[in-house]
Amino acid sequence: MKVDYLKKEQIETATLELIQAYGKKYGEVSIPVPVEEMLECHLGLGLEYGDLKEATGFGDVLGATWIKDRRVVIDTSLDPTEYPDQEGRCRFTLAHEVGHWQLHRIYFEIDPLQRTIFDTKDSRPSIVCRRSSSKEPIEWQADVFASYLLMPTHLIEAAWREEHGSSVAYQAAAEITALAQRFGDERTTTGIARRMAARFKTSGQAMQIRLKDLQLINASASAPTIFDA
Amino acid sequence: MTGNKTFGQRIRDLREERKAKDPAFSLRRFAEAVDVSPTFISKMETGEFDPPAPDKIKKMAELLHVDADELLALAGRVDPKLNDIIKKQPKAIADFLRTAQGLSAKRIQELTEQLKDESRKSGKR
Repeated sequence: MKVDYLKKEQIETATLELIQAYGKKYGEVSIPVPVEEMLECHLGLGLEYGDLKEATGFGDVLGATWIKDRRVVIDTSLDPTEYPDQEGRCRFTLAHEVGHWQLHRIYFEIDPLQRTIFDTKDSRPSIVCRRSSSKEPIEWQADVFASYLLMPTHLIEAAWREEHGSSVAYQAAAEITALAQRFGDERTTTGIARRMAARFKTSGQAMQIRLKDLQLINASASAPTIFDA
Repeated sequence: MTGNKTFGQRIRDLREERKAKDPAFSLRRFAEAVDVSPTFISKMETGEFDPPAPDKIKKMAELLHVDADELLALAGRVDPKLNDIIKKQPKAIADFLRTAQGLSAKRIQELTEQLKDESRKSGKR
């Protein structure tokens, strides 16, 4: 499905508006960001855990949204009570579906033809989210939304200052190299990213990407900083 | 498992009604409070799973502020305390229930009120 281009900053603004609106109703948002409550209570969507693999025929499905039915289903393989190690991925998927609702529902509301084909009751979901589809623009936008929603800049910076007493970046090159040598390139999540991830209830990997993005983790070996002197 | 759509829908409606004002009724927090998984609550609400054990139903009633007996009846379950009551006086209570079974609901309620009244009075003594 084709969607309009959005800049990262526009997506971040959308998450901050949601955080603020939620805060007004239910009290200021702190970590871990209450993503389920945003989806269910604030946006008033119905949430279910269901067997999406069976329903959609996709083995790598994570979540799905039915826009007209105001319904989000997360695959049971991500149930955080049954599979506690999936907590981060589950919350990311929830935030990702919230992203679709906030950024993309308009495409289903304004196109009556599409609505009758894809969005009638008990029919196929409007949007199916799979691990392998994450490179499509609509999925990329929802991923960026999820990242900003679960790890808002102001809360990351506050948590970082609590951990380190300052906003100085961590020079991670040596640790990442050591991790890569030990576990291979797939598992290079630094200790600090894992600790922050535990507080925000995200995956370590998602946190590391966010921290690099905010330049709190510096992974490049040669980049000099003003503190090198 | 055949599930129970009426029971599931009732829980879903009650939870939906409350969750808009109180995040404690979100799927996950409600499931945690009942001590089951969100998947279980989901599938129970859609009627795919049977209602849980009576103690969990009573917990749901308490959280949702509704009458436990109503939910137990919808679920086709009996309060386990009733078993204990019968076991304490198996013959007398069984006789009592058999005798009462032919009565109208209205008459049963009248007698219940009467008994409550008597036990209140004897409690004062």
